[in-house]
Amino acid sequence: MIEQLKSDFNKMTENFKFSESDVELRKKNLTNFINKGFPNKRIEDWKFSDLSQIISSNIKNLSFYDDKTYESKEQISLINKFEHNKIIFINGAISKIDIKHEDDTKVLINNDLDLNNNTEEINSLVSLNHALASAHIGIIVKENYSLNKPLILYNITTEDVNSTALNLRTDIRLEKNSNLKLVTIFDDQSENNFINITQNFDIAQDAILKSYKIDHKKNSNIKYFYNNINLDKNSISENFIFSTGSKFIKNEVNCNLNDQYSSAFINGVINLKNSQHHEIKTNINHLAENTKSYQLIKTVLNDKSKGIYQGKIFVDQKAQKTNGYQLSKALLLNENTEFDGKPELEIYADDVKCSHGSTSGNLDEDSIFYLMSRGLSRQQSKELLINGFLMDAVEKITDLEIKNLIKDMMGVVE
Amino acid sequence: MLAIKNLKANIDNKEILKGLNLEIKPGEVHAIMGPNGSGKSTLSNVLSGKKGYTVTGELKYFNENLLDLEIEERAHKGIFLAFQYPLEIPGVNTNIFLKTSLNAIKKAKGEKELDAIEFLKLVKQKAGELKFDEKILSRQLNVGFSGGEKKKNEILQMSILNPKLSILDETDSGLDIDALKIVSEGVNALRSKDSSFLIITHYQRLLDYIKPDFVHVLIDGQIVKSGGSELAIELESKGYETLS
Repeated sequence: MIEQLKSDFNKMTENFKFSESDVELRKKNLTNFINKGFPNKRIEDWKFSDLSQIISSNIKNLSFYDDKTYESKEQISLINKFEHNKIIFINGAISKIDIKHEDDTKVLINNDLDLNNNTEEINSLVSLNHALASAHIGIIVKENYSLNKPLILYNITTEDVNSTALNLRTDIRLEKNSNLKLVTIFDDQSENNFINITQNFDIAQDAILKSYKIDHKKNSNIKYFYNNINLDKNSISENFIFSTGSKFIKNEVNCNLNDQYSSAFINGVINLKNSQHHEIKTNINHLAENTKSYQLIKTVLNDKSKGIYQGKIFVDQKAQKTNGYQLSKALLLNENTEFDGKPELEIYADDVKCSHGSTSGNLDEDSIFYLMSRGLSRQQSKELLINGFLMDAVEKITDLEIKNLIKDMMGVVE
Repeated sequence: MLAIKNLKANIDNKEILKGLNLEIKPGEVHAIMGPNGSGKSTLSNVLSGKKGYTVTGELKYFNENLLDLEIEERAHKGIFLAFQYPLEIPGVNTNIFLKTSLNAIKKAKGEKELDAIEFLKLVKQKAGELKFDEKILSRQLNVGFSGGEKKKNEILQMSILNPKLSILDETDSGLDIDALKIVSEGVNALRSKDSSFLIITHYQRLLDYIKPDFVHVLIDGQIVKSGGSELAIELESKGYETLS
């Protein structure tokens, strides 16, 4: 693997003509990845999802760079329910940038950024991403500007690519009192690739980020989606994860509440079939007084699927008056399913309010009886109960258009 | 309409109903009274098809064997059970549930399903007749409803689904006098020559408002005495002791 990695890296750096300092940083990250490799279950954070094993058993002869270019194809299905700005990535390369609904002096999109920022060592996959990111986009929303329409990042793969690691990196900065609604959506026609996405957010004072991540189309790819979110004073980050399409995906969100009155919301739905395996891992770091976090994750498991939620709330000794909450509920519809929940609270301040809860079980037979006694079939009753169970989390989405888009994807009739 | 002969029901190897006989004709209102543990709720569960019971005997509904029908098929054919404890179903909007339910029944009957507008019109009309606040219907099904609201919701569902045989399982429990009146008026409004009721209750109180044609006393899984509405009054003063 290492030989392949090195030769792909050289091929890439030749093709892209990165700056010298850029190449240096990429090399540093590459070395980092080579030293650590893909994470395996011996690493605490990965004990429920042995990525090294998952990759080796699903992808033969993984390559790390695909130098072909792809035209935007007709069959790409874009969201047509509402107007939006878009950036389209096809097979890891930028295919289209369209922010026609915005003032382009207020929303800056740049694919030639200085990589010096945020290259601290987080984990081997982020290193791999930073070493081999074929698309690296920077987005800046200027002070006091609120986007008129949501921005949708389409991550599209076509059947032309397989057994390849695709690395995409996005760095987003919201300046003071600005506002962004971001949707990251996957659409995969490809099979057996490893898709590694890193998004970094810096949210300045009074700014609001709403970030929705949608993995809804059935596909056999393996994904890792890392989010790092830094929050300044009185800023808000709302996250929603809709996790139901990929063979494997781990959504990891690291959120630093760096200054007073900042708040972070992470809600999500995992809904799996067959042998799908999805994980949500969160780290919420309360680093200042009067900060707030809220998490609600709902999981439904069918067949022999596996769902995982690892949620950690860290409260620094400075972070008095922290309010932290997390709740995980899982429905296991079959005895061959597995749900692993690992809530963690690490608290060093004494005046805080933190709570967590976790439940798992099957559908309530009495509820099924109640619905069937009103004429619904067993299947209809189950679907209604399952959607009702998930709706709890979906209703937390504060943007109506996107909430309806997700309800639509779930087949909820209104 | 309904003919029950020598009905026996077991659960976990315990016999609850021990040879029950009952006949209900169209338009009749029957009340079943009995002490705790006499098998009243088991009877309503068995009639609506709840799983978990071993049932023997004859259960004929319009000359069809009810035991051959699934829970939802019984609902399609006009059997409605108003629950003693209606279940809270989080995340499911009451209106959407009701529409799904009504259309499932209409579809099974081969009737035209209602669209959203037709349905809302029907609900408005029924809620008005029953003096129910239709705001309830935009909430999640029974979630956070008071005891009275839950029972009213059952009666509203009953009036929208327009069943032939309605079984009311201790609908009066947990109701205050005002709610009891409203619920009773609702039931009385649904009485007709084609629709029958089986009212299961502990107390005579409900029967002051819904006057039954027949009263049966259920003790230890069997009907031990039947009579007219005066039997309820007699029971209230003498208790069940004298009959067992």
